[in-house]
Amino acid sequence: MRVVVCSPQVPFATGGAELLAENLTAELRRRDHDVDLVTMPFKWYPGTRVLTSALLWRLADLEEADGRPIELVIATKFPSYAVRHPNKVVWLVHQFRQAYELDGTELGQFGPDVGDRATRRAVHRLDDAALGEARALFAISQNVADRLRNSNGLEAEVLPPPPQELDYRFEENGRFVLSVGRLDRAKRVDLLLRAAAADTSFDVVVAGDGADRVRLEDLARELGLDSRVRFAGRVDDEELARLYATCLAVYYAPVDEDFGFVPYEAFLSEKTVVTTRDAGGPLEIVTDRQTGVVCEPDPAAIAKAVTWLGAHPDEARAWARSGKELAARLSWDTVVDRLLGS
Amino acid sequence: MKVAYFSPMPPERTGIADYSGLLVPALQERVDLHVVRGGTRRLPRGTDVALYHVGNNPNAHGWIVGALRRNRGIVVLHDFVLHHLIAGLTIARGDTDGYLDAMQRDSGVVGRLIAHGVVDGLLPPVWETRPQEFPLADSVLDYADGVIVHSRYVEDEVRARGFNRPVWRIPMPTWPVPETEALRLPREAAVVIGCFGNLNPAKRLPQLLRAFAEVRRRHPEALLVIAGGISSRHELDLHVTESGLRLDESVIHLGYVEEDDIWPLLAACDVLVSLRFPTMGETSGSVIRTLAVGRPLVVSDVGWFSELPDAVAAKVPVDDSEVETLSAFLDLLVSDSALRERMGSAARELGRREHALDRVVDLYVAALEEAAGRDTVRSAVCADVARAAVETGLDGRSRELDGVAANMRELGL
Repeated sequence: MRVVVCSPQVPFATGGAELLAENLTAELRRRDHDVDLVTMPFKWYPGTRVLTSALLWRLADLEEADGRPIELVIATKFPSYAVRHPNKVVWLVHQFRQAYELDGTELGQFGPDVGDRATRRAVHRLDDAALGEARALFAISQNVADRLRNSNGLEAEVLPPPPQELDYRFEENGRFVLSVGRLDRAKRVDLLLRAAAADTSFDVVVAGDGADRVRLEDLARELGLDSRVRFAGRVDDEELARLYATCLAVYYAPVDEDFGFVPYEAFLSEKTVVTTRDAGGPLEIVTDRQTGVVCEPDPAAIAKAVTWLGAHPDEARAWARSGKELAARLSWDTVVDRLLGS
Repeated sequence: MKVAYFSPMPPERTGIADYSGLLVPALQERVDLHVVRGGTRRLPRGTDVALYHVGNNPNAHGWIVGALRRNRGIVVLHDFVLHHLIAGLTIARGDTDGYLDAMQRDSGVVGRLIAHGVVDGLLPPVWETRPQEFPLADSVLDYADGVIVHSRYVEDEVRARGFNRPVWRIPMPTWPVPETEALRLPREAAVVIGCFGNLNPAKRLPQLLRAFAEVRRRHPEALLVIAGGISSRHELDLHVTESGLRLDESVIHLGYVEEDDIWPLLAACDVLVSLRFPTMGETSGSVIRTLAVGRPLVVSDVGWFSELPDAVAAKVPVDDSEVETLSAFLDLLVSDSALRERMGSAARELGRREHALDRVVDLYVAALEEAAGRDTVRSAVCADVARAAVETGLDGRSRELDGVAANMRELGL
């Protein structure tokens, strides 16, 4: 089948959504489909630029390429699903969250003036149209599917993506807690830093880069954590697998995250996860005292959880192994079958 | 966001006044909403968006249509058929040309010729005989920047008129049900069937009475309570007698019921009947209240009433078997208390889920926010497109730009 995977791209930024689109493309290719990944730059500010970005996708003609028809388009996250195609399937990573549940919070974008309010509503109307016309709707997590139902009244089948292929293994329980992911405020790495400041029994390694890095480095200095926190930046696959294999536990506590590959990757390395009760998607796999620790979004609670895991390595590994069973159930065969066969 | 709100308000005795009496306080908690005094046509200073409630009654809504024609805005279309309204604002005030124009706008030359026939006394008044065939809604829609409707039926009708600006479908809200005891009716009965509202010919009272007479033969314990204004007591007596029933025995007429008395009356009923034909595209306040109290419904299978779920309402087609079908439904509901219970629960759940006041207010705020800044948003997106077009040498006559415009419309931009 001739397939195009659509994914927007914020230049110089890479995260789970980009990885998902690349992996999907690779997996389709591995199954002998004629597939290509189409991206367009995405900028969501100022003002109505978010809508213009969506319009660009709408104007893209992906019904055929080089005189040959494209049989299927798989769109992933906002605004790529604004693309027009008679056989459009959406595997929804997330909508433009600033227009939905983040509105009115410190992570929101739209102010109270009439233009901003209307822009937000225009995003809703656009989603109604662009998602509503899709031949099939899938969501990467129950959290994303629930948001879609509550906000737009649309039903999506939950289809979680398998984590990336790494040399997952368990080597030892080191002394450091690992944080993996793009560094922005919503990931709340600052909570982990403050937890480390409150409890000297563990160190921290932060793998990832992003707009929040400078603030986090400043915070680590302020908290006197220079020797106990290492900002590793973006690491290659080999180094990432080694970090997973040697950490004490993995911290992953974004605000109402869509999905989150990190807990799956941690479990495949037989490392348990510390998350918070408001983390969203990760809670679909991290269950308190079954696969990890779910605590309040509070440095003291996080420090207490890490300390407990350090003192109970057998329980921690048993929980991680339970999580590993869940992670092992996700397969690209299922994903490809559903997306192509829906 | 400052909203100018044009509507009849309590204590006016109209369904739309009741509706606004419920909605306004809840909306005022979310937006800066100013209720415009009746008869005023100017917008309050600094208004971002004006909201005009339009129904089919020229006495209640004439001034609102006048204000709309002066300042465009969002129309809440409570009825789709506005023939009475427009006739009342034109021909009834001596504006024959206005009526001819409205009929022509509605139905072209044929409409104008029929209007001439009415004006010259050669044809019976359309508003009395077949208003639904000439709804005259365009006379209002032409001034609307967007329309709020209560049903898919009216949305489809509005779109069928070629209206291409935003349409928001917002259900009618349920009223909070007060703690109340059931009204003590003049007669005791095992099962009480209620029929409420302004009892005009469209409410199909003769058909209801004939069907109920059949039910009574099998279930003498059943009682029919009719509540609402009627044009002629004599006519009601006649219909009751013709059906073989007796007023004040098997049928009770309570006349107009004040808002405070509606709830005890609803509480006293086991089944509510709300028949309608022809429909003017209206929703029914009585039906919405019935959902709130959780009683089974029997309705005509037309317009908005058809959109009620089967679990909540038995729907009677308006055809040659109407009376028989209605009688069969009533018979079933009178004899099966478990069915009444199930349908009542489903009604209550529908009221909670779809017609909750909070949800309705959310939808209103969304519509108002979209409407208030729509021009700003559209101008900004168009400016981006225009700049790119100019820089790449496309001019306003380019077919490519037609395609861009079509795509913008599809995405609601």
